[in-house]
Amino acid sequence: MSERPVKRQSYWRRILGQTFVRWGARLGLLWVGILALVGVFAPFLASSFPLLLSQDGALSSPVLEHLQPVDVLFLVAFVAVLALIPMQLTLGRKLLLLAGVLSLSAVLAYTWVSPPKLVIYEQYRVAEAAGRYDWVLYAPVPYSPKDYQRDRGETGLEAPLSNGERTHWFGTEQNGADVLSRMIHASRIALGIGFVATGIAMVLGVIIGGLMGYFSGVVDILGMRLVEIFEAVPTLFLLLTFVAFFGRSLYIMMVIIGITSWPGYARYVRAEFLRLRKQDFVQAAEAAGLPLSSILFRHMLPNGMGPVLVAASFGVAAAILAEATLSFLGLGLVDDPSWGEMLNQAVQSSSFNWWMAAFPGGAIFLTVFAYNLIGESLRDAIDPYLSKSG
Amino acid sequence: MLTYLLRRLLLMFPTLLGITLVVFAVMAASPGGISAKSLVEGQNLDPEAKKEIEAYYNRLYGLDDPAWMQYLRWLNNASPIGFTFDEENALSGFSFTKGSDLGRSFRYGRPVTDLLSERVPITVLLNVLSIPIVYLLALLVGVRAAVERGRSFDVSSGMVMLGLWSVPTMLAGVLLIGFFANEQYWHWFPTAGLSDRVVMDQVFMPHWSNLWDLGLLFLSVTLSAALFLSMANAERRLRMGFIGLCWALLGGTMVWQLPEAGRSPVLWLMIPVSFTLLAVWLASSDYRLLRQLGFLTSGLLVGLLLAIHWMQGEWLRGFLFDRIWHLVLPVVCLSYGGFAGLAKLTRTAVLENLLSDYARTARAKGLAESAVLWRHVFRNSLLPLITVAASLLPSLLAGSVIVESIFSIEGMGKLAVEAVQTRDRELVLSITLIGGILTLLGYLLADFLYALADPRVSYE
Amino acid sequence: MLLSVNKLHTWFRHQGRTIKAVDDVSFTIDRGETFCLVGESGSGKSITALSIMRLLPSSNLDRHDGEIRFQAEGGLTVDLSTLSGAQMRQVRGGQIAMIFQEPMSSLNPVFTIGEQILEAVNLHFPELGEEQAWERVMQALREVQLPDPETRIHAYPHQLSGGQRQRVMIAMAMACEPDLLIADEPTTALDVTVQREILRLMKALQQRTGMAILFITHDFGVVSEIADRVGVMQQGKLVEVGQTEQLIRRPQHNYSKALIAALPENLARHEQHLQVAEAEPLIRLKQFQIHFPVRKGLFRRVVDSVRAVDGVDLEIPRGQILALVGESGSGKTTLGRGILRLTEPTGGQVDFDDTDITRLDRRQLRRFRRHMQIIFQDPVSSLNPRLSIAAIITEPMKVHGIGENQDERIEIARDLLAQVQMEEDALWRYPHEFSGGQRQRIGIARALSLDPAFIVCDEITSALDVSVQAEILRMLLQLRAERGLTLLFITHNIGVVEYVSDRTAVMYQGRIVEQGPTDAIINRPQNDYTRQLIAAVPRVRL
Repeated sequence: MSERPVKRQSYWRRILGQTFVRWGARLGLLWVGILALVGVFAPFLASSFPLLLSQDGALSSPVLEHLQPVDVLFLVAFVAVLALIPMQLTLGRKLLLLAGVLSLSAVLAYTWVSPPKLVIYEQYRVAEAAGRYDWVLYAPVPYSPKDYQRDRGETGLEAPLSNGERTHWFGTEQNGADVLSRMIHASRIALGIGFVATGIAMVLGVIIGGLMGYFSGVVDILGMRLVEIFEAVPTLFLLLTFVAFFGRSLYIMMVIIGITSWPGYARYVRAEFLRLRKQDFVQAAEAAGLPLSSILFRHMLPNGMGPVLVAASFGVAAAILAEATLSFLGLGLVDDPSWGEMLNQAVQSSSFNWWMAAFPGGAIFLTVFAYNLIGESLRDAIDPYLSKSG
Repeated sequence: MLTYLLRRLLLMFPTLLGITLVVFAVMAASPGGISAKSLVEGQNLDPEAKKEIEAYYNRLYGLDDPAWMQYLRWLNNASPIGFTFDEENALSGFSFTKGSDLGRSFRYGRPVTDLLSERVPITVLLNVLSIPIVYLLALLVGVRAAVERGRSFDVSSGMVMLGLWSVPTMLAGVLLIGFFANEQYWHWFPTAGLSDRVVMDQVFMPHWSNLWDLGLLFLSVTLSAALFLSMANAERRLRMGFIGLCWALLGGTMVWQLPEAGRSPVLWLMIPVSFTLLAVWLASSDYRLLRQLGFLTSGLLVGLLLAIHWMQGEWLRGFLFDRIWHLVLPVVCLSYGGFAGLAKLTRTAVLENLLSDYARTARAKGLAESAVLWRHVFRNSLLPLITVAASLLPSLLAGSVIVESIFSIEGMGKLAVEAVQTRDRELVLSITLIGGILTLLGYLLADFLYALADPRVSYE
Repeated sequence: MLLSVNKLHTWFRHQGRTIKAVDDVSFTIDRGETFCLVGESGSGKSITALSIMRLLPSSNLDRHDGEIRFQAEGGLTVDLSTLSGAQMRQVRGGQIAMIFQEPMSSLNPVFTIGEQILEAVNLHFPELGEEQAWERVMQALREVQLPDPETRIHAYPHQLSGGQRQRVMIAMAMACEPDLLIADEPTTALDVTVQREILRLMKALQQRTGMAILFITHDFGVVSEIADRVGVMQQGKLVEVGQTEQLIRRPQHNYSKALIAALPENLARHEQHLQVAEAEPLIRLKQFQIHFPVRKGLFRRVVDSVRAVDGVDLEIPRGQILALVGESGSGKTTLGRGILRLTEPTGGQVDFDDTDITRLDRRQLRRFRRHMQIIFQDPVSSLNPRLSIAAIITEPMKVHGIGENQDERIEIARDLLAQVQMEEDALWRYPHEFSGGQRQRIGIARALSLDPAFIVCDEITSALDVSVQAEILRMLLQLRAERGLTLLFITHNIGVVEYVSDRTAVMYQGRIVEQGPTDAIINRPQNDYTRQLIAAVPRVRL
């Protein structure tokens, strides 16, 4: 065997490199990236408030005035992530730093940003029609998600581009709000719920599974019973029960989806730990008298994370699907539009309006598909034995 | 083996106990929890009556007791053996024959057992119909993908399967109902339920008033099926042209069937073209079995359409055909996801075995590749799929929740949604219990089958 | 001339690259002859065999080139490389049969062995009736001396031992009376005593049927036992072909010379024979035992135990190398790990100088570990793939307070790498960038980083090629001399034992059956089992 050329790459860099060589993963990543951008800049993409207007020679930006604390938080998070990526830090440090920045800006945003309590969506349209502005620059989609266009009379259920006067790319729902605008704002929920719920599930699963795998014995038996209990009830049913009894806020939903989906991760981690415990390098670490924390977190966990990460990227898809399903069944968020809830709206109305089903449904599909694509490429990269290129 | 089974059955009890405990805890710990107050809240009654009903509920279900007490009471009632109480609620003894009592539903005011015995068979029917379809198609695609590893069939089927797997059930359901069960588009299938009221007094089998029609139907379907099947094996270009033309026509007919308002130039173009492309792609495939299946389906469809067009007399659907007619969309909706997932698993399993040492031994013996595949590899690849069958059950049950809600089928899934929405404690607990038992039995059955199929496994 | 391979080339696709795996290989095999292809891992010897059979997986095979002329019994000569698929299938199994290295996985687990042999018989003798075909299967099983063939014919592969499975594989190959048997490392996965029986069996069958054998192996001992002629392969090329004795005694090609010189039997015996009696024991095992419980029944009660190590008394003198020899399942690895308490002992004691290791509590044990280390067999799994070599070597030092700061520890690590003859830039690389031998060196450096007095070497060279093995063994002896190490050297390779060890202990079924100075054990074994074991070792006859 000839010597391989020298490559100084850590394991994860190698795996990620092999993952994103595949065009499936690239497409998936592209879509998730677009979604993230759309989510972050949602208020500037779809809003009834002009981005910029000039009234009697004075410039003002109503969009900025109406920015919610959450909007600010998303923007800060985006900038922070962009700034962190090129830094020379370990992944863990980066995550810690990110969490710090986020919590700080959350506190600041919720104390300092105070949008007007009373929101009148049509005020700028009315004023513009009355010719009070010199010029106005609107967002690409000039409707807020909850702007029901009451000023324009009966506007509900317009098919895409069917109205000569106004452009509704994806039509309107029965109350008259713009479907595209609602979808743009709902993309945040999909993104947020996917990551947070999967994060919670992963942390729980890794801790419980790791304990089971390393200590085995009684811990293992009890843990496996717990896993079995959670797996024997269809997750959706458990979710339904949780949500129906605990209310419908976004945060509760994230936590609940997280809590109900940990057993899969626990199983994977347990199996990995059982396998790794017998591996020579773990035995070597033990023989060198390394402390338990090092054996667990430095030697076993990073090597056992492969299947967990694969499961996680499928898990993000599943979490998004779970939220959509709950919303669809009428148990979702009450105050904000989400894709699933929009799909539910499509069913609720007496006639079938395809644009109300196809667009939000298509968005769910594309997002789920994107994560599944990434997950599959990641799996092929980690386990090259069965991969397509051979 | 017997010891093993016994052990597994014994281990089911703590798990079931845990399941109900978790669900009960969720309900009890929720804000508001389950109290007589929360049950009467929604009803529009004057305060006097409200109080009355509250008191009645408390008496009936013991809702003012502490939560652990309520759970123990429920457990005692639900378990087939346990303590018995006399009229004054005093302990009267321990009975092995008292039978299990799942209580009464708050909302329906009926015994839960009655409700379940109505609903469970419907859900089971849906699932029992789906599972063979799922397995058959998945094996068909998965095996071929593994054999064609890395070539176009593998890559494209892999993408399609992942795509199907990603289509949310509710999207599929909504679109299917919207387009194929709606008067605005093609009103081919019923929108809701499992049977029409009309057929309740009809005979079981379909009935034709005119024997000639029946003959025509038979003749047309057989002939067209035979024609298409023979075309499936024709020369490549011929079969592609044939099936392409057929589907272009079918697509055109389909658009033509739309109500006037719905026909748009876009549709006139889109539907025939996309149908044609899909059909030509199928016909170009080297995979004979898949091709034949596709051609056969097309042939049956064309034959059926022609027969319907030519038939003169009246006919009665009858109960059976009506049931099938109602089941088509729900079953499609329930199966495609499982099919896609299983097809991918099949591919992995078959591929792993195709590369195995014993497959190489079989080739070294001089066996043909097809014999290696079907005799040696296939049987070994089925083993992991048996295990998957068990985990398919919970996911199908979950799928039933969505499908039954969309198609308004009065099954267990729909009942579950209603139960949690109305906080119907007895119903929620019972459904959990039934779901848990079904799932655990599924796992047990899978393990048992595995032991039968794999001589290496012996449950000592 | 039965088979004549002429200018065979095989290109292989691997991770998007095309590799020339077989490069211009030509050789011939006569009827009734045994031809051995010998070479180190990756030399292309197995791929040559699979190319002849045209059994390379189509997903990996890029293309073949060259001529494979085969003269079947009828006298007609065909070129296997141009036969159609159906014709080739007639040849496979019928005229050329093949057996493989892993008897464990080479048989289909869901069919009985009878069914699997019957399949081959039916395929190549379709004219036989069912009864005759079964008779033939039985005949084949009898021929390979499978004990109790009447019952075994209905057994599944998992119910047989490794040696029995290899017999079944041979029976399957022989059932159709092939002219040529290709055996791809058929005994590598077997214990030496079983290996001897299988080799004898193959020879006997060859004498009876007059078939030719193409035998692929990496073991020169096996070569000298079975081969008439030998071909030595290196990186896809056949570098030398010759009569067995001639080639082993007077190899012509440089590579063959190096390969034969690297055999443990040929390594210069180390001179510094220590005076065995004088040394104080560093490690003393007393009634040492490790039992694993067997649980059964409804409540998983312990009904029995597997006695992996069953009452061992053993002394390892300070500064000496004790070889622990035994076949698979004898408990030697468990014993090695038990001494270090990587597997918890269930009885007896281990004295390390004056400390009884079995009585240390967790914290004491952790601190004590710096005095005793272990090196593993599998170079792939013995290094954490996520850590750089620097991290792997310095972490134990840090925990045990060796070196003031990280810079100092890196400096020590650099020295250690120099001692195991590695470049210093290895420090910043990751394990996957190294070959098996290099990883094994890193494993040794890691063990040495704590400056231990005692090291358990668990089959450290059995996954390596002979030339690498020789280097590692030489280095180990040198390190022993420099540092005064005490080693427990676990192995199944008698050649290595002879070369490396001062004392030898033979283990069988959890017990030490014989121990003493290596010379005495090898040349004058007292115990029956030891005698069998030593006799079974294939020796290069010089």
